[in-house]
Amino acid sequence: MTMASAPARPQSRSALKRTFERYPFLPALIILVVLIVLNGWFQPRSLSFVGITGLIKTYLALMLLAVAQTYVIYAGDIDLSAGAIVSLVNVVVVGFMAQWGGDGLTILAALGLGLATGLACGLVNGIVVAALRLQAIVATFATSIFFTGLALYIQPVAGTPAPTLFWRTYGGRILDIPFVFYVVVAFAILLVVLVRTRLTLRLLAVGDGQQEAFQSGLPVTAVRIGGYALCGVFAALAAFCITGDTASGDPLVGGKMTLFSIAAVVLGGSALAGGYGTVVGSVIGALIIGFINSLVFFVGTPSEWQNLVQGLAILLALMAGVLVGRGARA
Amino acid sequence: MIKLKLNGVSKAYGATKALSHADLEIEAGEVHVLLGSNGSGKSTLSKIVAGSVRPDAGEILLDGKPVTITGPQSARSHGIAIFYQELSLAAHRTVAENISLASLPSRAGIFVDGDALEERAQRYMALFDGVTGDGFSLDAVIEDLRADQRQLVEIIKALAIEASVIIFDEATSALDRAQVERFFEILRALKQKGRSIIFISHRMDEIFAIGDRATVIRDGQIVGTKRIADTSPSEIITMMVGGHDETDAKAVEHHAPTGAAALALSVKNLGGRGFGDVSFDVRKGEILGFGGLHGQGQSAVLKALFGAAPPTSGSVELDGKPLNPANPRAMIRQGVAYVSGDRAREGVVTGRPILENVMPIHYLRDRMILAHPPASARKALPALQALRTKFAGLGFPISSLSGGNQQKVVIARWLIDRPAVLLLDDPTKGIDLSAKADLFALIRKLAEEGMGIVLYASEDAELLDNADRILVFNGGAVRRELTGTARTRYNLYQAAYEAA
Repeated sequence: MTMASAPARPQSRSALKRTFERYPFLPALIILVVLIVLNGWFQPRSLSFVGITGLIKTYLALMLLAVAQTYVIYAGDIDLSAGAIVSLVNVVVVGFMAQWGGDGLTILAALGLGLATGLACGLVNGIVVAALRLQAIVATFATSIFFTGLALYIQPVAGTPAPTLFWRTYGGRILDIPFVFYVVVAFAILLVVLVRTRLTLRLLAVGDGQQEAFQSGLPVTAVRIGGYALCGVFAALAAFCITGDTASGDPLVGGKMTLFSIAAVVLGGSALAGGYGTVVGSVIGALIIGFINSLVFFVGTPSEWQNLVQGLAILLALMAGVLVGRGARA
Repeated sequence: MIKLKLNGVSKAYGATKALSHADLEIEAGEVHVLLGSNGSGKSTLSKIVAGSVRPDAGEILLDGKPVTITGPQSARSHGIAIFYQELSLAAHRTVAENISLASLPSRAGIFVDGDALEERAQRYMALFDGVTGDGFSLDAVIEDLRADQRQLVEIIKALAIEASVIIFDEATSALDRAQVERFFEILRALKQKGRSIIFISHRMDEIFAIGDRATVIRDGQIVGTKRIADTSPSEIITMMVGGHDETDAKAVEHHAPTGAAALALSVKNLGGRGFGDVSFDVRKGEILGFGGLHGQGQSAVLKALFGAAPPTSGSVELDGKPLNPANPRAMIRQGVAYVSGDRAREGVVTGRPILENVMPIHYLRDRMILAHPPASARKALPALQALRTKFAGLGFPISSLSGGNQQKVVIARWLIDRPAVLLLDDPTKGIDLSAKADLFALIRKLAEEGMGIVLYASEDAELLDNADRILVFNGGAVRRELTGTARTRYNLYQAAYEAA
């Protein structure tokens, strides 16, 4: 739509550049397509309906957590406690359901409590980082230890089972369609709604430069706290998916997801410095990590080599993303 | 009718009085110009009114009623808008989004109303129809715009607040003729509507074209206010110069070497980010001064010559041999030295001992791999002593020193192996008077020993007292060369405010 107003530049070149600028997740999308083709090549069944459903079931939590992290990174902040929030919400929800029975109403109440927990954790992070002005990396590292400690207090060991009704619903089908697909649709609608909010735009503006945003009259502190609060809520949603997938409570379940969520955001083309990025990119980034993991498995990597190959593959994906993006924008 | 009144407003940064007991009256429907040299307090005054700086004392009255401005948001709600000299734009957002950033039109309280956003931006952009240039549109991203277009966005952003008091701090510096003329038409229309405009510019012709009254600030104090119609550029410059006048041209002993002295540095048609077509020679033994208002390209030229921000055009010769300022490492090896006034960011290695702060340049020039501390100390001591640096021991952290002594350590770095050319980028910022005297004495001594020195000083007195010749910068180009007895404060200000 703006191409017409830039007649000075060569049309095709500038159109390509603009497309990549407008959709910074395009390089990630290309990588994702390549990975999907490779998965299908080595293991055709992985692209069957059942295979895709299983992959989504496993990686929905990481997608949600990557989105959670994105809102914080938009504003140029970072949340190293996102995974710990997932753990805490997981044990809170499972513990509540174990205490009060597994009927539908209790489950809904437990989910409500879980959302409130996530929101509270996000607010704590936001206040510590934005209002008390501590360094985001160190402050959220500290709160991650604190949240993990809380989780361990609530449930010292892993293994408390979630009610059957809960995980059967998450893993089951409604009207012959797997439940996770409804979750994906709801998730997509939520993201589309959030993209249009003032908060998203303000987070990006703060990420572009706090001083500039402050001088423009934006409530910078409130905006950053809002980003962390949103992150906490999405981390709680991620915890619900993990709980549905593993059907039990585990006080350490989310810890290792934190850095994966940050990697997913970067793979998706968002800038860690803030001000630039998309949530769609982060979802694609999470899927890239998922497909890399399953590909490493399908090509028959011996188990002792799997981590090494996974790490190399993620590095390759990062480099490819940077190269494709740079080439198109040059 | 008085719209805005400042009563005894003061602001100090540490021991520096940026503004003391400023009284100012701005009428409704006038363009009120603020003038003053570097650091005189005009930007501080603007920022106090706009809420981004809190005053230490004094009161601000709007329409006769005292108001407390707690921040930029509060200033907006009082109907005060500002154009920031350094711009306040979000680089990755679009033009339309930036224009309404602080007051995004919304649907249902939480969603951005895209139609209203565009409609609003369109309405204000229409004011500049025809002069914006290619690629300027509602959904253009700020990052992709040229400097003048970004400046237009910042202007539009300030206009869109529909404030009753609007401050324009150097709003025309990157604009071309047609854009400035359109901007002035808009300002005249705002005047008609009774808005008050505070206008800061470094172009005398603009001040006389648009201003109704002018207030001169010197050293943080209001010198006086004149009606533009009743005054002249020379009267205003005289006010800026104050009592100093010609006496300041003091018979500076003419140190400058004769024309026969060899060239240390020769720069031809140098261009880069923030400057263009700059040419000058520095002779051995000469101190060449760069003058003019802040940010007119002086620092950019020095950084380009040091390779920190390589130039994009032009040629440089050092001792008659061509020089390619590709990066600082190469320049250091060729014998070019650079000292920044921003010690904290571009000078000292914070948290490390004094010795380690003196030696890195020597290590680089000697291509040293293993350091021998006692031998290093033997080299460092004479360099520090030459500057009369006060320190307890070479092992003490650099942070244990005062600002002036820290800067001496930074300069001592360059004295172990003498460079051919020394570039000084406002080297005395925030340094006490006695340390300044030491520094300038040393700089003169280095020059007498045959070094070519380029000195940019934002304090005009330093320049007038120490430079043999002064090149006055304005808008990224050299506007005038002051030599001999022409090196007066009056001439300096006049050249700095000359039409670009």
